[in-house]
Amino acid sequence: MGKTALVVDDSRTMRQMVSFTLTNAGFTVIEAEDGKDAVKKVAGGPKMDIVVTDLNMPEMDGITLIKELRKMSAFQFTPILMLTTESAMDKKQEGKAAGATGWIVKPFNPDVLLKTIAKVMPA
Amino acid sequence: MSNDFAQFQDAFFDEVAEHLAVVEEGLLALEQQPDDRDLLNKIFRSAHSIKGGAGMFGFTAVAQFTHKMETLLDLLRNGQKVVTPVVADLLLKSTDCLKTLIDATKSGASVDDEAVQRLTAELAAESDLKAQAKVERGPSESSSTPSLTSTSTTTFVIDWTPPEWLFRRGLDPLQIMRELRVLGTLGEIVMDQSRLPELTAIDPETCYLSWRMQLTTAKDLKAIEKVFEFVREDSKLSIEEVRGKESGVKSDGASDSTQPLTPHADEGERPKPLGTILVESGVVSPAVLDHALAQQKKVGEILVEQKAVTPQQLEQALQKQKQESSAQAKKTDTASIRVDTGKIDKLINLVGELVITQSMLSDLGSRFEMRQLPVLLERVAQLERNTREIQERVMGIRMLPIGTAFSRFPRLVRDLSAKAGKKIQLVLAGEETELDKTVIESIGDPLTHLVRNSADHGLEPPEERLDNNKPEVGTIRLNAFHEGGNICITVEDDGRGLHRDKILAKAVKQGLIGENDKLADDQIWPLIFKPGFSTAEKITDVSGRGVGMDVVKRNIESLGGTVSIKTATGKGTTFTLKLPLTLAIIEGMTVRVGKETYIVPLLSILESIQPKEGWVKTVVGKGELMNVRGTYLPLIRLYDVFGLEPEYRTPTDAILLILETEGERVAVMVDEILGQQQVVIKSMEQNFRKVEGIAGATILGDGTVGFILDVRGVLEIARRGVPVAA
Ligand SMILES: [Mg+2]
Repeated sequence: MGKTALVVDDSRTMRQMVSFTLTNAGFTVIEAEDGKDAVKKVAGGPKMDIVVTDLNMPEMDGITLIKELRKMSAFQFTPILMLTTESAMDKKQEGKAAGATGWIVKPFNPDVLLKTIAKVMPA
Repeated sequence: MSNDFAQFQDAFFDEVAEHLAVVEEGLLALEQQPDDRDLLNKIFRSAHSIKGGAGMFGFTAVAQFTHKMETLLDLLRNGQKVVTPVVADLLLKSTDCLKTLIDATKSGASVDDEAVQRLTAELAAESDLKAQAKVERGPSESSSTPSLTSTSTTTFVIDWTPPEWLFRRGLDPLQIMRELRVLGTLGEIVMDQSRLPELTAIDPETCYLSWRMQLTTAKDLKAIEKVFEFVREDSKLSIEEVRGKESGVKSDGASDSTQPLTPHADEGERPKPLGTILVESGVVSPAVLDHALAQQKKVGEILVEQKAVTPQQLEQALQKQKQESSAQAKKTDTASIRVDTGKIDKLINLVGELVITQSMLSDLGSRFEMRQLPVLLERVAQLERNTREIQERVMGIRMLPIGTAFSRFPRLVRDLSAKAGKKIQLVLAGEETELDKTVIESIGDPLTHLVRNSADHGLEPPEERLDNNKPEVGTIRLNAFHEGGNICITVEDDGRGLHRDKILAKAVKQGLIGENDKLADDQIWPLIFKPGFSTAEKITDVSGRGVGMDVVKRNIESLGGTVSIKTATGKGTTFTLKLPLTLAIIEGMTVRVGKETYIVPLLSILESIQPKEGWVKTVVGKGELMNVRGTYLPLIRLYDVFGLEPEYRTPTDAILLILETEGERVAVMVDEILGQQQVVIKSMEQNFRKVEGIAGATILGDGTVGFILDVRGVLEIARRGVPVAA
């Protein structure tokens, strides 16, 4: 069975780049453009192997999304990575408190992204 | 591997354009409601997305500049600062600057470093709440050289031995250094690799390294410690302030923006310029350096002095450089178009249908019997439907909402009203109306001119409006809508309207009409489109810098469109632009002259009539005139223009098309009208060569070539009285 990923970012290009990298690595990707969209797309639906989410988004931000996902039984143990910028240090802590597994700092390259994902995903 | 993302650059630039529009519109709206938190969040997010993306592609200058804007926006959205007109203005200017930076990044052209640095410093100053608090308390000590802000900074030496598990948790020491760089200027970094075991003993996932870094920053110890927050446990960390000489000069990231604007500029740090090193080590003062730099000669000037090149050669080379950079800019401009996936899916479905129809036809053809003729005809009709629908859909791909052309106007009107001291309200409607990308790109300038014209000449100053019982705030309304196969764009103002007598007086003075000519209103208004006509007493800064309305008209007509005016004294003026939806297809009337078929653009045809006996008059010096219901129009025999053998030479046997171009009416004589149809324009220049009087060619239904008339060109040929060489 192929692995599945939920990619959430309000920036279209960023979303495409993450999806592209994950698709090439054999993931089936579901894209969402903000937290609300993400919740809608996974509610009662597919179980994900990994979630990669941006923090700064309209409608529902990344931190709230992480909290919401953690409330769902299907996402209790799913690794969740935050995409963040180097300047937003305090956000990382907030994200961790909300239940994020780790983070990836923008800018990143495909290798870093995949390696980080490999690290947080159960073998 | 980092190049993997390069293919997304075009997509990124498209997205950036959208974000820039959001930022600009947001900032303008903010002037009306300065404490709209949602709006501030939206603007912040767009800036944030631009920064994030720019970082991904290594567009360092863009990322750094956007970061400065973002910092200020963050303070505004958190309520730590309020939006004052000064702040809004600074952010608007910064948005302009960011646009320039992005365009430069796209085309590889250079940017005005001075402006970038000045705005960077201004943004930093606005974002520095502490310094501002100081300013409020006492007189400012801020330096007058904007690019080198001197603030009280401290230099720290940071010794850091990360935990061994650093890599295993997906952390990157480089990220820590980047974050430190955000705080200030990261100076010398020394890596200690003494703990590195022999190669065979290395565990690639263990961190054996440690670093000593020098950071000069205006921030305090706490801020630095915060950077290490996540790696603090198990790290060995010491942060010590360096006493003694205070390095007061901080370039505030501005020096980085002088790097060449190429992708991946951060691959390998560039060595510091000599001047920077000298200033930093205190050998020369910034002022001395600036002075020295100002005297530095350009390489071209030196070569001319040494007589290695002539000034002419230099000029040519510079010209070439300019052309190449603008050609490059153009290339990237038209490089991509974003298409809704729905449109593509629909198109794929249609092509699927086409393939089915085609296979049915070839199946039928392989064993065709006469009795199957009705089936054949039905299939052919189906093929025709498929083809037409595909054609429409393919054209649809190039269609974009006109909103992209409108988006520049809120800003323009804001600036115009500020400059002219008028109160102007801009109303946009029909932004979702779709038209061809090429047309959208070409109407920006004519529309801008019309809006400027309305703001500058149409609308009255507030006092005058109040005197005339009009609302103090004038309105300019831009509207777009479809009408038939065309798009109409109206620019409407509720100003003073066109002044009949002033226009007449001016036209007489310019020799455009005779002193005793009797003209109806709808003949007077088009006079303002004549070359050299302008009723404005003086050309003001905002009125288009001497570019007349004739240019507007010419631009629109070169797109196959028309401009018309409606005006009422004291009530306002409306300009209506009528344009084809696409430049690739025109609606045309096919006519025959002898054995040739021509297509006349429908937009230029007023009517077609059968002339009666006695309509033709020959006037000395004016050639043949046609009396059409009391109006004398120049008669153009199309066969004369193109040197053809016609079927009819007597006007009463032939057909007249009354055409209008640039406000001029003419009667064009042809043998026969064949019908009306849409034709796909093929460029003559690209396929053959430019022919005067012909705008392009098309393949007609029977496979022959038809020529599309360039009405203006035909008129000019007729005026010279010499047929075109075939
Ligand atoms: Mg975002």
